[in-house]
Amino acid sequence: MAFGVSRHSVAGMIGTLAFFGAWEALSRSGFVNNVMLPAPSTIVQSAWELILTGELPRHLGASLVRAAIGFLGGSALGVILGVAMARLPLLHGTINPLVQMFRAVPSLAFVPLAIFWFGIGEMSKIVLIAWGVFFPVWVNTYIGVRDVSPLLGRAAASLGARGWRNFAYVVIPGALPFIIAGLRVSLSVALVVLVAAELAGAAFGVGYLIQMSQQVFRVDQMFVGLIALGAMGFAADLLFEHAVRRLLPWYGAEQAGQKGP
Amino acid sequence: MNARVEIASPIAVGEPLITCIELGHVYDFGRGRTAALGSISLTIDRGEFVCVLGPSGCGKTTLLNILAGFVVPAHGDVRVGGHAVDGPSSERGVVFQDYSLFPWLTAQANVEFGLRMAGRAARERATIAHDLLGLVGLPDEGAKYPFELSGGMKQRIAIARALATRPSLLLMDEPFAALDAMTRSSLQAKLVEIHRQERPTILFVTHNITEALVLASRLIVMAPNPGRIVEDIRIDLPRPRRRTAPRFNEIYEHVARAIGLETAE
Repeated sequence: MAFGVSRHSVAGMIGTLAFFGAWEALSRSGFVNNVMLPAPSTIVQSAWELILTGELPRHLGASLVRAAIGFLGGSALGVILGVAMARLPLLHGTINPLVQMFRAVPSLAFVPLAIFWFGIGEMSKIVLIAWGVFFPVWVNTYIGVRDVSPLLGRAAASLGARGWRNFAYVVIPGALPFIIAGLRVSLSVALVVLVAAELAGAAFGVGYLIQMSQQVFRVDQMFVGLIALGAMGFAADLLFEHAVRRLLPWYGAEQAGQKGP
Repeated sequence: MNARVEIASPIAVGEPLITCIELGHVYDFGRGRTAALGSISLTIDRGEFVCVLGPSGCGKTTLLNILAGFVVPAHGDVRVGGHAVDGPSSERGVVFQDYSLFPWLTAQANVEFGLRMAGRAARERATIAHDLLGLVGLPDEGAKYPFELSGGMKQRIAIARALATRPSLLLMDEPFAALDAMTRSSLQAKLVEIHRQERPTILFVTHNITEALVLASRLIVMAPNPGRIVEDIRIDLPRPRRRTAPRFNEIYEHVARAIGLETAE
């Protein structure tokens, strides 16, 4: 098994190297315009320059702060409202049509409206990200709390769990797998909305870097922005997975176990 | 409420813990009504190890669910320890066929769960859990999560969890049905041992005659349509019980006939 895996990773490495080698050769060959398709080595060099001037860290930092605040705000609201609606049928009946209505509109469509209302500053980005993040978290939390295992509910009741103790020790942990799934989806949603909002109007941020580079014909810097976004998404996902594994060691194993017959 | 009527149970001699009077239940499935439980009257004494045996649909699980407080009977009166059953309570521990351990808690935290719900102090909880993990033969597995345990281990943890609040009654719903034969027989021995030591009153539902004969001090045989008691016998076989003993086989044949089984094996 270990042998097979290492063979695959060697193949993956060869494939990746071949791809970038061919790209490098193509850019240098003169068949294509190397301003339109800069070579990987050029991109690395531009990235290094942008890091040294502090420009890239500044854009990246701005984007990260927006994404983090929007994500935390939107997911907190999603969890709170999801739990409340699953536990309070009257509240659910009252606002469910509204939430469903807003959920049906793609969150990117709100970008122009948000900029109109909140300007191109931080507020519009954070609100947009929170808005996009809210829905997947809300849906998953709602379903997780509503469908908490009746069997575990019986077990808990026969052990004397009632009221807030039952809620805190059984309902919420039971819904956690759903909530985590919602949060994970929202992580990529946050990135998508972030970039859309920054492309539409911003004074800095990775999306702004890409937009500006396009206007000054720096395709190499556009690639740097793309790579930065990719790295950001990858790191966020990795961090999230690590945190889940660390905080909830039972989570992954339990999911895998449920796939069985 | 009701004056204590002496119910048709020839062997009720000790102090009664469970009293069921004309207990009946009907499941309404829209297309038709199924009499899950006809009209059952039953008295079980403290310390008894009662196995309820019968084919599917005989109402044995319904009876257990009513005693647990999960199901409200359509009619009749049910009392445990003198109190009318009114919803689930930690006075009546339940062990489920699918273990129903909380996957997000370690084995020890699962065992402590009922004590935590009762607001007991952490140190006291840990001491009780430690003793119970020892009792079920898993003294070193407390830190593991359910997914790290085998089916047999999970069920031992579930038994320890149900015992932690010292319930007067332990209700067990086919707890060993999902286990392999070897694990099942070792857990049966363990349960007999626990009953000998702790003397809880146990109501154990099963559809396995051998299992019932290995475990029970009293055997209640039920039949379906409507769910009713057809046999109520004391099992006075000496322990440890040998499945090959002639008397064991005699009772086996008798019970098999009562259920309506052909005993070809």
